[in-house]
Amino acid sequence: MFIAIVPAHNEEKTIGSVVQSLFEHVDSVVVVDDASSDATSREAEHAQAIVLRHEINLGQGAALETGHTYARGMNADYVLHFDADEQFDAADIDPALEKLQAQGADILFGSRFFDKRSNMPWFKRHVLAPLGRIVNLLFGAVQVTDAHNGFRILNKKALDKIRITQNRMAHATEILALTKKYHLNYIEFPVQVTYHEYGQRAVGGFKIVRDLLWGKIVK
Amino acid sequence: MLSLLNFLLIYVIYKYMLSVFQVVFILFALFAIVSVVNKRRESSLGPKGMLFWILFWVGASIVVMWPESVQIIARRFGIGRGVDFVIYIALVIIFFILFRLHVKFEELKRDLTKVVRDKALDK
Repeated sequence: MFIAIVPAHNEEKTIGSVVQSLFEHVDSVVVVDDASSDATSREAEHAQAIVLRHEINLGQGAALETGHTYARGMNADYVLHFDADEQFDAADIDPALEKLQAQGADILFGSRFFDKRSNMPWFKRHVLAPLGRIVNLLFGAVQVTDAHNGFRILNKKALDKIRITQNRMAHATEILALTKKYHLNYIEFPVQVTYHEYGQRAVGGFKIVRDLLWGKIVK
Repeated sequence: MLSLLNFLLIYVIYKYMLSVFQVVFILFALFAIVSVVNKRRESSLGPKGMLFWILFWVGASIVVMWPESVQIIARRFGIGRGVDFVIYIALVIIFFILFRLHVKFEELKRDLTKVVRDKALDK
């Protein structure tokens, strides 16, 4: 069973079409509604997704882990992480899964840097992304070209090992660190990312570093 | 009533040569002890907590009333002025409490995450 996990916070406009596009590629779609104040849950249910709703906003990392817990309960063979804001293309899923299986890898990370399809803003490509790589190096993560890409596929072993404790955006680095810690086989795969708005700002990067530092101090 | 209090205050200040800071501090310490006892009554503070905070405010008042008293201890620790000694100790205690609060906060966050997650999966 292949389950897509879509963390969503106030994505009523896009969630319906994202869920629909996913059904062509996976067996089940789980939308984790992170206490949205809009109709995200209703739109997702309308599109036949299974909706898990956080009553309090916990962050994207927490939403993914809620999806993981559900997927473990369903005994899923593979899980997909997929963003709710239409920035990914569902057509990337099938070739990505095939490559994961063909290479016998445990976890696949999507990357915007493998080809020229993504219209990444200059500042993001040349300043924020390299800074992100340095942070990951400092926190003992495996080195990937695009650490903060939300497109991932995990097999059963990776799903079992990767337990996210970073509720907010620092989960991306945490996943890479756990990949290293448990010696999971990982591969990267080119995915297309379409930017609708800017997304994470530089301030968000500082918050990530702060969360990671606290994660080191407080176990 | 108020004028009597005023008179008493002025009398005490005059008689014992207290500085304004000392008077204000003692009054605040009294207020703090009263609220500590109140919190204990509402049982939002344990018996150990009450003892600690009462001793803390009594100790601080003693230091404020007789600043020379810490001078002797300060010398033992190789610090020249008693006031400096008090400030160093206060900083150490404050940072320690801050750290404990942060840890507590982090634990709360994890508990909250668990409760919210369990509820989301329960449906």
